[in-house]
Amino acid sequence: MATLSLQHLDKIYDNKVQAVYDFNLDVKDGELIVLVGPSGCGKSTTLRMVAGLEDISAGHLLLDGKDITQTPAKDRDMAMVFQNYALYGHMTIYENMAFSLTLRKENPNVIHKKVLAAAEILGLTEQLNKKPAQLSGGQRQRVAMGRSIVRNPKVFLFDEPLSNLDAKLRGATRREILLLHKRLNATMLYVTHDQTEALTLADRIVCMSMGHVQQVGTPLELYDTPANLFVASFIGLPPMNFFHVTVQEDALVNETVRVPLTAQERQMLKAYAGKEIVLGVRPEDIVAGGEIMVKVFSNENLGMNTLVHGHLSGSAKAEDKITCKLRGWCDYSAGDMVPVTFVRKHFFDKDTTNAIRGEA
Amino acid sequence: MSMNEEQFIKRDRMRFAKNTLSSGLALLAILFNVFYFVSIYKSDVGSYYYSIVIGASILYNLIFMLLVFLSSEGVKGYNVSYAYVLLAVGVLQIVRIFLLPVSAHAAVVTVNQQETIVMQTAQFIRVVVYLVASAVCCLVAGVVGIRKSRVLSAHMASLEQKVA
Repeated sequence: MATLSLQHLDKIYDNKVQAVYDFNLDVKDGELIVLVGPSGCGKSTTLRMVAGLEDISAGHLLLDGKDITQTPAKDRDMAMVFQNYALYGHMTIYENMAFSLTLRKENPNVIHKKVLAAAEILGLTEQLNKKPAQLSGGQRQRVAMGRSIVRNPKVFLFDEPLSNLDAKLRGATRREILLLHKRLNATMLYVTHDQTEALTLADRIVCMSMGHVQQVGTPLELYDTPANLFVASFIGLPPMNFFHVTVQEDALVNETVRVPLTAQERQMLKAYAGKEIVLGVRPEDIVAGGEIMVKVFSNENLGMNTLVHGHLSGSAKAEDKITCKLRGWCDYSAGDMVPVTFVRKHFFDKDTTNAIRGEA
Repeated sequence: MSMNEEQFIKRDRMRFAKNTLSSGLALLAILFNVFYFVSIYKSDVGSYYYSIVIGASILYNLIFMLLVFLSSEGVKGYNVSYAYVLLAVGVLQIVRIFLLPVSAHAAVVTVNQQETIVMQTAQFIRVVVYLVASAVCCLVAGVVGIRKSRVLSAHMASLEQKVA
């Protein structure tokens, strides 16, 4: 396995469009890094630069300390798993998995051992004589992974491998990838736009937007201490609620709501007294009971929780919309006023959009 | 890897690899047969070829190609029955040498008041070579098919024994 270092990577296309700006990342040996972000944020481009499928416009790519920026894709010793599987339909699963090694003219007996071992890991032994068309989407994706495993590459690259699967299969295959990572202890770079995949799979997440890295950290760090408004809005489902508020001595206020501050929060926002900031509250950080009123307009029962959609203090303004994830089964009707409390708050600078950490 | 292990893996590979040697040879046999039948008929020897024997020969060519093509697919999947079919048609290809080519080589016809041999020696040798090549391909494909099928059957039996 291997370490990977992405140093100041830029990607500028011939038409002068810049897709990636100054990307820096050090991937440790055996680490699973997930690049996450909305469509067009540059995550797949970054992965393709690492794979050698896109030229690197500026910066350096180091594999085990060796500069491979100009090394052709075939010599990088990396295996890529694509969203659309990229299997050969006329070949059996065995032949698909053996294909890359056959091209390298490896000993057929060695190839056989590697293919059987990979098939065993992925539970594909019974499918080896079948053609890809005879397999389900999940099984096909496992074959694509198997094809990578037999090569025993230094780095595995996954480009949205679960996007073509239905929700149930996606969950199952996600768990398989996680088990595979634990079993192989391989260095992996994984691209997805699905934050659930990112949070469940990653050792560390790289959150990207518009070609820029917004935050690098563990899933908990990104969820718990988002670096800016973008990360806060992107990570978490349902997304975080945001309100423009003014910092007063003991509370955050706007035209519709007054949110009391704890002593710790007051200390944190000392420098922002009298200024407007953005208050972020995750739906799951809202509990029933308290002095903030929410006028319900819809109610979604999820079993263990209830998603309550409403407006703060009965306001009809779009910026006062709020989603609360309340514990238990709640039967609210449209128009009901529900008292809530924000048990945890996030604060963001209105101008820079960066999180306000302050001195708590 | 020890010798035994290598032998085992070699046999085990047959579970997933097709018998492309036999299959390829069978297709080659069809190709040689095509060379044979496009070489044999000549139009400048009067009405010699206009007989029931030629009709049967054409029909047999079609049946041969169909049988050998099906057999090539069959032996690819280690089906021993198709290997026997290939052996049979291989023998028939040899027998065919003594039917049309030999009789045409020995026959003399009068065309434009001149006596001429229906199949000259050069043509005779050429068609015989095509038939022999076709026969050899069929026979080798059949023998290899039978041998590999037996090896695979024995291997599968040993695997089943291990599981049991």
